[in-house]
Amino acid sequence: MKGLTGRLARVATLLLLILISHAVVAQEQRVIVIANVSVTTTELNSNQLRKIFSMRQTTWPDGQQITVFVLPANSKAHTKLCKDILKMFPYQIERLWNKLAYSGLGEAPIEVDSPEDMKSKIENTPGAVGYILSSMDDLDDSAIQIIGAE
Amino acid sequence: MNIFRLVLFVALLVSSLANVQDAFADDFKWRGFISQGLIQADESNFVDDHKDVSLRLTEVGVNASYRLNPKFRIAGQAVYLNGGNRYTEGVRVDFLFADIQIANSADWRANLHLGRFKNYHWLYSATRDIPHTRPSIILPQSVYFDQFRDVALGSDGVALVANTSNSLGEWDFNWSFGASPISDKQARNLLGDGAAGDLKQKFAHQANLVWKPASGVFHISLGFLDSEFKYDQAEQDTLIDGRADVNRIMIHSVYDAQDWQFAFEIFKERTIYKDLIAPGFINDSTSEGGYAQFRYFVNNDITLLTRLDIFDLDRKDRDGRIREAQFGGFVPAYFGFQDQATLGLSWDFTKDWRISAEVHRVKGAGRLAPLLMPDVVTNNSKYWNIYAFQLMHWF
Repeated sequence: MKGLTGRLARVATLLLLILISHAVVAQEQRVIVIANVSVTTTELNSNQLRKIFSMRQTTWPDGQQITVFVLPANSKAHTKLCKDILKMFPYQIERLWNKLAYSGLGEAPIEVDSPEDMKSKIENTPGAVGYILSSMDDLDDSAIQIIGAE
Repeated sequence: MNIFRLVLFVALLVSSLANVQDAFADDFKWRGFISQGLIQADESNFVDDHKDVSLRLTEVGVNASYRLNPKFRIAGQAVYLNGGNRYTEGVRVDFLFADIQIANSADWRANLHLGRFKNYHWLYSATRDIPHTRPSIILPQSVYFDQFRDVALGSDGVALVANTSNSLGEWDFNWSFGASPISDKQARNLLGDGAAGDLKQKFAHQANLVWKPASGVFHISLGFLDSEFKYDQAEQDTLIDGRADVNRIMIHSVYDAQDWQFAFEIFKERTIYKDLIAPGFINDSTSEGGYAQFRYFVNNDITLLTRLDIFDLDRKDRDGRIREAQFGGFVPAYFGFQDQATLGLSWDFTKDWRISAEVHRVKGAGRLAPLLMPDVVTNNSKYWNIYAFQLMHWF
């Protein structure tokens, strides 16, 4: 009887751990793309975002110039952006930006230090696009979260 | 230039650029780099004639771009280099051009560059002068022959840079036409100390097409180069009026995986020398070369590199014995090729500081200057090594 109680307790503990781990997974943050209120585009697929973040597309469809803001290469948000959205390795995009900046071919994105800086820059720069980590589950992968005053 | 004066100059320049950036906000962008190394090429004049450990591995540069409007931009970069015998010591403007956007749509983008622009056509040519963007301290000499650095780095003229996407993937097309100035010292490095005349590049015409499939894990490029050089004899000169025509075909490719990268670059180059040494002299030869390079990313900060680089001056005389006989035995056969095996290690110990170290085992002297009149006294060994260590910072 004592052995059965012990086994039940172990099974219950295991179930609890599984439930907790599911809860943690559900709360895990994902990266979302954010843009200034002046941007009229509301959805972009992975290919389009790759063109924007690799600086191959420099204007929005309405002609407005795109200003790209990025977080430090070692940040979790940047790693997730590369892996989950752009489908690139971080070193690949770093190589592209270096080539643009040091050959004069184009401009590299503007690096900001923190998610707070990112939000502030996106809110205050017309045509700006960037990304942050978010717990919001109700957004489609392709949706752009517009931030800033209406 | 005294190293302390150089550091002071860079500090003042950086401070001024920071002020300009504050004034022009996001339209003005600037970056810079500074690096110093220790290098030794034993048994060759690759770095120094004395073959000892040398500090002549200094690279400092600042670049800036200013966007006047979405379709017009100006970009430029100045560098100070000291690489010993590898290239002329001093300050130079690597690029300074106007960037004009001539097409921009969802699928197409094209820009014209007018002025001095970089060579966009080879794998590392557009960033070969930036220490932290190179895979190694010394690039493979078959393709990135240091004595030819200033000529190969870019041109004064016009370039077209276009890219598009379709269901097959991304396509880049680069075309350029221009010429590079060649200093007297460079001319002597290439042709020998007795060359007192004037060497000019009449034109360099290049194009390449790059394809990257939608998966994005690799890209491949096919490129062509056509160039002509002219030499005007000086009053007291060992050479006479002459010219050289160069045609090159190139292929390069890179495969990117999460923890490793494989790259290769190969070329075939036909060079025809006319006159130059004696009236009616013609030398028509085709050289071949290329390298295969494997990099392993131990983690985000540490990278290991191994590479094999091969160069044959004349594909019909790969061991150099015919040339040796033509020179009456004066130029040893090992000047007809240069094969180089490299092992390297780099460590990014902060986000903008890196230390690199590497060793090269070299067989042959086919990529040692001067080219036309080889230095057989200093380069008296078929086998030699390069040891290099470099500390670099970018900002």
